[in-house]
Amino acid sequence: MLKQTIEQRITEKHTSALHRGFHVWPELRYGKMPALGDYRWTADLIYATWAQAETGSVPENGLEYRIGDSGGGFDLLDFKFLPPGHWVPEDVPVRTSIPLNRRPRDRRIEIPVPFYGGGMSFGSISENVMLARARAAALWKTFTCTGEGGYPDSLAAYNDYVITQVATGMFGVREETIQRAPIVEFKYAQGAKPGLGGHLLGDKTTVAVARMREAVPWVSLFSPFPFHSVYSVEDHKKHIDWIRTINPEALVSVKVSTPTDIDMVAVGSYYAGAHILQIDGGYGGTGAAPEIAKKNIAMPIEFAIPKVHRYLLQEGIRDEIVVMASGGIRTAHDIAKVIALGADGCVLGTMELVALGCTRCSNCERGRGCPFGLTTTDPELSRLVDPEWGAERISNLYRSIQLQLCQILRHLGLQQISELRGRTDLLLYSKKNGRHP
Amino acid sequence: MRSGIQELRSQALDLEDRPGYHRYHIETDTTLEVAPYPSRFRVRVGRVGLAKFLLREIVHTRFNRQIITSRPCLYGVFSGPIGGFAPRPKLCVGCLRCMTEYPDFVRVSHNPDRQLLGDTYFTPQYVDAVTYEAQTGKVPVKGAGYRGKFGGDGWDGMWTDMSEIVRPTRDGIHGREFISTVVDLGEKPPYLLFDENHTPIGPTPNVLSLPLPMLFDVPPASLMQESLLSVLVESASALDTLVVLPPSALRKFDLHRSRIVPLVAPEDLPALQDSLEQPRMIEMASWDEKLHKEIRTRFPGSILCVRLGFAAGYEEQLLRCVHAGVRVFHLVADFHGRNENGDFAIELIQRAHQTLVEAGWRDSVTLIGSGGIVAAEHVPKAIICGLDVVALDTPVFVALQVAMVGECAVQSASQFKAPKFTTQWGVQRVKNMMASWRDQLLEVLGAMGLREVRRLRGELGRAMFQNDLEREAFSGITGYQDAQADN
Repeated sequence: MLKQTIEQRITEKHTSALHRGFHVWPELRYGKMPALGDYRWTADLIYATWAQAETGSVPENGLEYRIGDSGGGFDLLDFKFLPPGHWVPEDVPVRTSIPLNRRPRDRRIEIPVPFYGGGMSFGSISENVMLARARAAALWKTFTCTGEGGYPDSLAAYNDYVITQVATGMFGVREETIQRAPIVEFKYAQGAKPGLGGHLLGDKTTVAVARMREAVPWVSLFSPFPFHSVYSVEDHKKHIDWIRTINPEALVSVKVSTPTDIDMVAVGSYYAGAHILQIDGGYGGTGAAPEIAKKNIAMPIEFAIPKVHRYLLQEGIRDEIVVMASGGIRTAHDIAKVIALGADGCVLGTMELVALGCTRCSNCERGRGCPFGLTTTDPELSRLVDPEWGAERISNLYRSIQLQLCQILRHLGLQQISELRGRTDLLLYSKKNGRHP
Repeated sequence: MRSGIQELRSQALDLEDRPGYHRYHIETDTTLEVAPYPSRFRVRVGRVGLAKFLLREIVHTRFNRQIITSRPCLYGVFSGPIGGFAPRPKLCVGCLRCMTEYPDFVRVSHNPDRQLLGDTYFTPQYVDAVTYEAQTGKVPVKGAGYRGKFGGDGWDGMWTDMSEIVRPTRDGIHGREFISTVVDLGEKPPYLLFDENHTPIGPTPNVLSLPLPMLFDVPPASLMQESLLSVLVESASALDTLVVLPPSALRKFDLHRSRIVPLVAPEDLPALQDSLEQPRMIEMASWDEKLHKEIRTRFPGSILCVRLGFAAGYEEQLLRCVHAGVRVFHLVADFHGRNENGDFAIELIQRAHQTLVEAGWRDSVTLIGSGGIVAAEHVPKAIICGLDVVALDTPVFVALQVAMVGECAVQSASQFKAPKFTTQWGVQRVKNMMASWRDQLLEVLGAMGLREVRRLRGELGRAMFQNDLEREAFSGITGYQDAQADN
C-alpha cells in the first residue's frame, strides 16, 4: 500500500467523519441539529435527502421527505391518490421517460427520468462535484450542464451526457465544446438572480478557473445582463441559428426566468426554434446572489408553470416544445407536482448538492467557499468530495426519486409520466401543509 | 504619450467636472457596531467527548500534530489557544460541518439572545440585514438560494417584475450608475399659462429634487435625543436629502437648515417665525386650514406638505387638501405598516394613488410615505404601489443600533433605547445603509429595464401579487376555493 501524504491523511480524517455524519444524523440517533434547515429545506428534508443519497430509497423513520415548511406553493399541494384497489399493480410497468425534442425534425433524445442536472459552473462548484454529477448523469443516461464557466477536459469522457451552456459572459464558450454537446443551453436569465447576470466572487476565481474562463485570476467575474446581441425574438433566433451552424445536431435549450410575461417569452422561444424551454423560478439555489433578488424579483416557479403550459396550449404549440422547470424543486413529490402543473420535467441543482452533504448554510460565497467542498474552488476543500462517492450519492438519489415517481403514478392510476402533464385535476390544494396519510 | 485608458479616464473626469453634471455617489466605509450584538450561534463542545477524541487521534496518528490540529471549522471557531475546549462562537457562521463530523460532542444552535433583536415586524432577520448594510455599505449577497417563507402577508406577498431582454442601458450591470434615482417633490402644475407679455401667470412649478427617493422621518418622542438628531441632520446633509424634525431643530442645526423639514402644528408657528430663512419645505403635522393659510402667507417660497394618517376617509381628506392647494402629502402608517383598522401599506398606498389618478391630480401631487418600510426591497415595492418618496424611520434607528423595547408599532407608544455613539459613527452607518439600499434599488430597476425611478411610481403592472398569481395558477385545483372561503 502506498504511503499517504499528510494532506491525504487530513482529507481522509475529515471525509470519513463527514461520511459518518451523513449516515448517522438521518437515523436521528442524535436528534436533529437545532440550527439545520429553513422554511424551504427543513431539517427533515435535508436528512431525508442524505438518507436517499445513501440508500436509494426513502427513509422510513418518520422523516418528512415530501414537502417543506414554506407555507405556499408546492408545500400546499398534494395529490388525489386513488383508493388502493385502483392503483396500477406492481407488475405493470410504469414509464418515467420523457423526450427532449418534440419537434418533428432534428435528433431524438429521450431521458429515462423526467429530470436532468442544471447548470452549475466550474468556479461556482468544484471540478470534483462536476465530475460526480456527470458520472451520475451518464449512469442514468440523462444530462448534467456545465453552467457558464467552461467545459473542463475531465468532463470530455461524459460528452454525451453534458449540456454546455452559453451565457451572457461567454465564459469558456469555445467552438469545440459546442460541437461536442448534444444539447446547448442559452442562459438568458437565472431564477435566483433574475435580471442581474451571473457573479463569481474574486476569491473563487482561482488560476484554473480564470484560465478556463479566459479571465484574470482573483478578480470578480460578472456576466452582463442580458445578451447584448438580443433585443427581440428575431435576435434570439439568430443566436440559435448560430449554434446550429456550429453544431447542426445539437438540440437547443433556452433558460429564462419568470417575469409577468413568461408566457410570451415561451412562445417567442418556440418561434425562435428552441427545442427546450427551461423556466427557472426564483427560489432555486445559486453560488452567490443578492438577497433582494432571491425573494423579490420574478414569480415562483409554481405560478409560472401553469401560465406557460396553458398559453402554449392555446397557441397550439404545446406538443412541439419541451418545458422543463427549475428553481426550488426539492423532492420527488415536487417533481410530480411540477409535471401535474404543466411542465414536461425538471432541472435539478440544489437537490444534488444536498445529496453530497450541503447543509444550505449559505456560505458558498464566503472566503474559500463551501466548507463541505461543494461550492468551492479551493484545492484542499475540493478533495472532500471524491467524484466516485459523489456519483454514487447522486445516482442513489435519482433511484429514490424514480421509485417515488413510479409509486405516485401507480397511486394515481397512470402508467406514464407524460400522462401526468398538466393534470391539475389530480392535485389537491390544502392549507394543512399538503401532508397526506 | 498618454495611453487610451488614460485618455478615457481624463474624458470621464472632464465630464464629471462639467457644470450641471453630478454623478451621485455615497461614500461607504466599514463601520463596526459600537456595542456588539449577541453571536448568531451558540457552540457547545463536550469536553469529555473532545478529550476522548483527541486521545484516540493521538494514538491513531502517532502524535502527528498537523493531523490532530486539522479542525473541521474554516472560520476559526476552534482555533483559539485551547482549541475546541474554548470555542469562539462569534466566528461561527452556522455551516454545521463540525456538528456533522462530530455528532457525539459538538452542538451548534441558534442563539436565542439574537432572536430578541427587533420586534415581531422588524424581525431579527431584518435586523441582521440592516446591520450588515450599515456596517459594510454593501448589498447582502449569499449563496444556496432562498430560505424563507413562500410568500406571506404584507410586502412578502409581492414580487417585482424583470425583463429577459430589455435593459436601461446597453452597459448591463456596469451601466446601472446611469439609472436615475432622482425624484421631485413639490408643486408640479400640469401646464403653464402665460399672459401676452409671455410672463407666467397662475401656478408655476416649485420643485425640490432629491438624488434618491428616500428621506428621514421624524423620530418618536423616546428618541428625541441630541445625538440621534445630529446624526439624522448630518446624514441628510451628506446624502443630499431631507429630514423631518420639530421646528426647534432649525435653530439647533443651523448649518444644515436647508436639509430640515420642520414639522409644524399650530402651536409651533411662533418658533418657526424666528427663523430668518424660509425652509425649503414645511410639513404640517395635520390638516389645518388656518395654519395652511398662515404658512402660505409667511413662507410663500416653501413647499408645503401635509402629514396624513391612513385613518378612515383619508382618500377624501387627500382630495379636500388637493382642492385647498396642497400638492405634497406625507402618508403615515404605523411602524408595522398598518392603519388602525389593520389594513397594510400596500393597499393603503394604492388607494391613495388611485384616488388621485381617478381625480386627475396624480401627476401634480407628490406622495411621501412612511411606516412599515424596513428593508431595501420595500422601497421599490412602495413606489410601485404609488409613492414618490419613502420617509424612513425604524431602519435608520436599527442601523444606529437602537434597541426596540417590546413591540414598536404605534409611534407614540413605542419605546426605544439608543446606545452611546458619536455623530461621525452614526452618519457613516446611515450613509452605508443608504448606499446599500440605493444599490439594491438599482438592482431592481435594472432587472425591470427601467432607466429612472420616477417611472416606477404606481407601475402596478411591474408587480405581481401572491393572491392574484395563486388564483390564476391554482383556481382550478380542488380545495383552492374552499381555502379562500375559509380565509
